[in-house]
Amino acid sequence: MIVSGEGLTKSYGGNIVVNHVTIRCGPGTITGLLGTNGAGKSTLFKMLLGLVKPDQGRVIIESTRKKPLSGIIEKPCLYGYLNAAENLKIFASIQKTPYSRENINHLLKKVGLPTDRKDPVKNFSMGMKQRLGIAIALINDPEALVLDEPFSGLDPIGVNSLRTLILQMAREEKMAVLIASHNVEELSKFCDFLYVIKDGEIVRSDTAKTLITQYTDQYLLVGENLNFSGPLERFNPVLIGNGAEIRCNPNEITKVLNQLVANGGTIISCVPKINMNRLFQYSQL
Amino acid sequence: MRALIWAELYKLYRQPRTYYALGAIVLMEVVILFSAYYQGSALIDVLMSTLKQSFYFKGDLLNGNLLVYVILNTIWFHLPLLLMIIVSGLLTSEYKDGTLRSIFVQPVSKSKFVLSKYFVAMLFTMVAIFFLMLTAFGLSYTIFGRGDLIVYLDTLNFFENNDAMWRLFWAYLSGTVTMMFYSVMSLTIAIFFRDTTITWILATFFLILSNLMLRVDFGTSLWGKLLYVKLGESWQHFFYYDINWQEIVLNNTILLGYTAIVMGFGILVFKHRDIA
Amino acid sequence: MIRHLTYLTYFFFCFVLQAQETDRDLLAIKSRLDSIDHYEASISLDILASFIKMPTKYASMTYEKDQPVSFTSDNFILIPKRGLDFTLTQLFQYPFITLDRGIEKRGDKPLKVLNIIPEDDQAEYTIAKILLDTTNRRIVESEINTRNEGSFKLQLYYNTRQSALPDRVEITFELQKLRLPFNFFGKDTQIDRQELRSLDEKKGTIILRLTDYIISRTGEKR
Repeated sequence: MIVSGEGLTKSYGGNIVVNHVTIRCGPGTITGLLGTNGAGKSTLFKMLLGLVKPDQGRVIIESTRKKPLSGIIEKPCLYGYLNAAENLKIFASIQKTPYSRENINHLLKKVGLPTDRKDPVKNFSMGMKQRLGIAIALINDPEALVLDEPFSGLDPIGVNSLRTLILQMAREEKMAVLIASHNVEELSKFCDFLYVIKDGEIVRSDTAKTLITQYTDQYLLVGENLNFSGPLERFNPVLIGNGAEIRCNPNEITKVLNQLVANGGTIISCVPKINMNRLFQYSQL
Repeated sequence: MRALIWAELYKLYRQPRTYYALGAIVLMEVVILFSAYYQGSALIDVLMSTLKQSFYFKGDLLNGNLLVYVILNTIWFHLPLLLMIIVSGLLTSEYKDGTLRSIFVQPVSKSKFVLSKYFVAMLFTMVAIFFLMLTAFGLSYTIFGRGDLIVYLDTLNFFENNDAMWRLFWAYLSGTVTMMFYSVMSLTIAIFFRDTTITWILATFFLILSNLMLRVDFGTSLWGKLLYVKLGESWQHFFYYDINWQEIVLNNTILLGYTAIVMGFGILVFKHRDIA
Repeated sequence: MIRHLTYLTYFFFCFVLQAQETDRDLLAIKSRLDSIDHYEASISLDILASFIKMPTKYASMTYEKDQPVSFTSDNFILIPKRGLDFTLTQLFQYPFITLDRGIEKRGDKPLKVLNIIPEDDQAEYTIAKILLDTTNRRIVESEINTRNEGSFKLQLYYNTRQSALPDRVEITFELQKLRLPFNFFGKDTQIDRQELRSLDEKKGTIILRLTDYIISRTGEKR
């Protein structure tokens, strides 16, 4: 384990924002923290990054590197009046890291940013700012990365390319990546492990695959000539445009799809929908 | 620590507000210079009207030295206001833009970081006053020439040209110590309150309060000797005929002590506060 | 009775006749001073006054007969309005009478005291008291009461017995109704405003030191 938070608690003005949360992330894994707005995700990440002192609990970082942990909280905060290279220069100099032109270009290329752009970053799109924020986080080769809502404000292409970058960092560079989001679809696509936080407490934690399997009870099917007659009627199909929403468990979906194909239909996509109410229900851990 | 200071200097150098501030100083100075010309004219008429009973005058007292002196008298409210706004912005802008979070996810010492801010604030203050001094002397001497300086401070004091120039120079230096105190105070207010607007309001209030306290006559009590506003007037002592260097050095040393205390307090608070 | 009247009349006329005669010693000094057509000197000027602080000022002074004294200096200089008339032309400009007031001592030196009273109302002074060094034929002290500008006292010091012009002059002056701007500069002054207002007059002394005289007399080439 590279980074873990044990029994972390924080309150503001009598209001408990994070309540005895334990969270862990190992090298080469992508761990998701799923929660609604105000669930305590950002406060938890701030404690992990040392920005905020926990009232109780401790943060354990197992690393010998100068900078074991880095990240972005809420949004990438950059010096808007400086360009991308200058921002990297400033943050690198603060950490006493050599910041030759080569090093800077290497980082920019790594996150997919142009190396020849000279205008100030206030002109950048949200996606580019996120990338630059990650580039800054990657200065000094941290072993773990903490990203708070990294997909927020990004278009689908931006989300896709950022996801690819994160996967690359985890798989190829064996970084421990901790991502917070309120979007289960985003997290479910690439996280290895998932924590679900509600009102400052962890209500669920398991591998992403297990949680998705356990709490999926609906599917959105898109296709042509979808015929839900006969035995498929019990799945209560609701027709929506070119598709239909059906109530179905993960262990039954394969049969349903096969039946639809047998009925002469063409399946274009099948998207599981997690039951959020059940997912966020309190349970014994 | 050097790297942090370099980073702060670089940010200051690249921020447009720095140049707006210096431009404002020059503009302010030009306006004051021309109003000083008329003020100085009236002043000399008043001062010399009595002496005219017994003397003729040869030479012009309305010269660059007098105008630099008038600028010096006028600038000590406007300049700290400008400095407090710029210096407090060194920190409040980082809170506002969130860059403080970006910095402290890096392995950076809080004490060293804020100390570097204080250092750059004081350096900027020194540079601003040096710039002010240079332009004041430059503009005044170029337009109005040089000559004897007349000052009323307990007595009518006449200083010859070179003597006047050195006294004015030392007065600016002494005033720099005072301005550094205000700059450090504004940064400390920024540490406490974080918000740009609130910090500006409080810094302005502090300045107004200081100016009001300056007008109170504390006599020979300890308040009169140790209150920071009174110590901040040490630059005036260069215009007594006999300069009391000991008193000036002592006053400025105490004021530097106050500056260090305010700075220490600010560092302590910053170190123990969360970066929200 | 007639005898007493006669004596009184006799003494009265003696007195009047004596007053109407200009003092011979004064005339001798006047003649000596009148012979000076032109002189130049380097001067240093110091002001001794509680309310003025000024470093020693340096200038050059030039006198031409029947012309105002002129000064040149590289710096600002305060030139006293009174007391630069070392040849006392001002006193002798209009007809005058002298009154012998006897002898006064300055140190060990006995000096002849005269009052000079102008007979013309156009004269700028009403009465002057001068002390004469009759041995060396020069004026040592004068106190002149002007019509409109108060009085001033002049003390003249000479380096050598032969000098006709002084090497050091002390001029006392008075300023009426001294006005100073309290709130203009010097915000933190310790001046007692009550005390200052009560002083309508301020006294001081100007000390002039004259060196490097170049003197031209009537008939001499310059």
